Amino acid sequence: MTTTDLSSAPLRRRGWLTRIWKSRPPLVIGLSLFWLAVVVLMALFAEFLAPYGYAEQSLLKRLQPPGFLGGLPEYLLGTDNLGRDVLSRVIYAMRTSILIALMGTVIGASVGTVLGIVAAHFRGWVDDVIMMLVDFQAAIPFLIVALAVLAFFGNNFVLLVVLIGLFGWDGYARIARGLVLSTNGQGYAFAIRTLGVHPAKVYIRHVLPNMMGVIMVQITLNFPEIILLETSLSFLGLGVQPPGTSLGLLLGEGRNYLATAWWIGIPAGVVIFLTTLAISLLGDWLRDMLDPNLKGKDA
Amino acid sequence: MNPQFVITKLVRGTLTLLLTVTFVFIVLRASGDPAQIMLSDEASPAAVAAFRERWGLDRSYIEQYLAYLTAIIQGDFGTSFRDGRPALEVVMERVPVTLLLGFTALLITLALGIPSGIMAALFRGRWVDHATMSFTILGHSIPNFFLGIILILVFSMTLRWLPSSGTGSIWHLLMPAVTLGTAAAATVARFTRSSVLDVLHQPFMRTAKAKGIPYDRRILRHALPNAAIPVVTVVGMRIGGLIGGAVTIETVFAWPGVGMLLVNSVNQRDLAVVQAVVLLIALTMVLVNLIVDLTYGWLDPRIELHNRRAAKT
Repeated sequence: MTTTDLSSAPLRRRGWLTRIWKSRPPLVIGLSLFWLAVVVLMALFAEFLAPYGYAEQSLLKRLQPPGFLGGLPEYLLGTDNLGRDVLSRVIYAMRTSILIALMGTVIGASVGTVLGIVAAHFRGWVDDVIMMLVDFQAAIPFLIVALAVLAFFGNNFVLLVVLIGLFGWDGYARIARGLVLSTNGQGYAFAIRTLGVHPAKVYIRHVLPNMMGVIMVQITLNFPEIILLETSLSFLGLGVQPPGTSLGLLLGEGRNYLATAWWIGIPAGVVIFLTTLAISLLGDWLRDMLDPNLKGKDA
Repeated sequence: MNPQFVITKLVRGTLTLLLTVTFVFIVLRASGDPAQIMLSDEASPAAVAAFRERWGLDRSYIEQYLAYLTAIIQGDFGTSFRDGRPALEVVMERVPVTLLLGFTALLITLALGIPSGIMAALFRGRWVDHATMSFTILGHSIPNFFLGIILILVFSMTLRWLPSSGTGSIWHLLMPAVTLGTAAAATVARFTRSSVLDVLHQPFMRTAKAKGIPYDRRILRHALPNAAIPVVTVVGMRIGGLIGGAVTIETVFAWPGVGMLLVNSVNQRDLAVVQAVVLLIALTMVLVNLIVDLTYGWLDPRIELHNRRAAKT
């Protein structure tokens, strides 16, 4: 706390908790951004930052507790049941999980936005079919659908990414459709169309750029859920397969050693938690910034 | 209740179910020979032939689809290859255990979410509000399997107060239900808060105050009933989340319900059971949505009136 506010009497009358709260949003957003930057850097430069390879075993040093808790100092977060460095595995797992979530987001946002635009452009039965699919998607828990598809087709990386990409497309479709419907009623879109510009060009050059803000917010709302979907699947042993790593898979592996070596799984869980927390906070904040009407409503 | 409203909702629900069955059918056919998938590898050629005959695999896709649909409607979901019993039977015997977990979790969700959301709204900007909102953000961000593992680590491994897995006593139920219930409680609290805040700013609340109605009565009789609709919606939505969450939570706590059965069946590719679980969950979701829609009409007569007017024009 600084002392610059001493002259301001009303502020001093508020409780310290309120003052911390008032000064909190920017601080929390700063911390969130910092953490996300760390995660991205870890994911990008895993080879250089991880002290060991993620599959590098040294069986003589199995199940070592973290270095700061009396374990070997060269293993900061300890080692797992095969003597692999937990820290290195977490760093590489961040790369896999973030990469899958990014690819999934790009797929979901593109498919959803395009379908939403198509629905709003053609209206009629096309609109009906797409909106029925949106309702269908919203009606069934996606984790169940993903599990069923993985059961029928067997597990592979491409299918996993496609599946995760299909999660959340309905949100983008709904938003894009609504925005196009309202834009089409606005003067500028009508004017451009009257000039004889092709509809596709109108959407790409004029409507889409206007949507980007709202779609970015939807991405920040959807991204944590995508991470949770991938980590849940991997945690259940049905997502990323060994020898690959993912944050969920690490937590799943660590689950079997909770009684003896909690440090195998817990760091991965903490990373998932902090990452989804940071993106959620950022998303809320972004939404408030972009749409002041929603401020304080939180829903 | 307006019959037209009910019928529209019923048709929509049936359509969703039909879509799910179609989806499962397409996935089943696209993923290979169903005879080999649904029967075990050791099935005799005679059994395979009988299976092909019964499901009409030598006929056209349309006929196959109709045959599949007929079988599903008659409750024939195929045979679990693990123990050779009908898949539906295998799933149904797990349902009570999952319902027990689900309903307890739902109770925790409601008991935690709604009062804290109301308190946060009534004391907006005060510490109750800040504490509730912070907890909702935390509850929303923590993966439920991670929360489960933390609870096991603390209460089973370290303190040794509660059993970490299995069923049998109320103590076994506690941690899975709390884990499952808190995430949903976070969402419910958030929506309750914003819904109550919306209502508090309505002109009729000012009128009630001007009329000299006491505070308690204003809140209980005027504000809360009007704030109920969005809350019912979000509770209905979260039931899907509870079902999805039950899959991971049951696995974490070795709770022998439908979710754990699904994960095990996916792992062992016991596809008859997988499709039975998926279709049953779809049915549950459709029923839940139907109940939520019907509750609207009961909670807010204006909605039904609106629907009736829309139907007339």
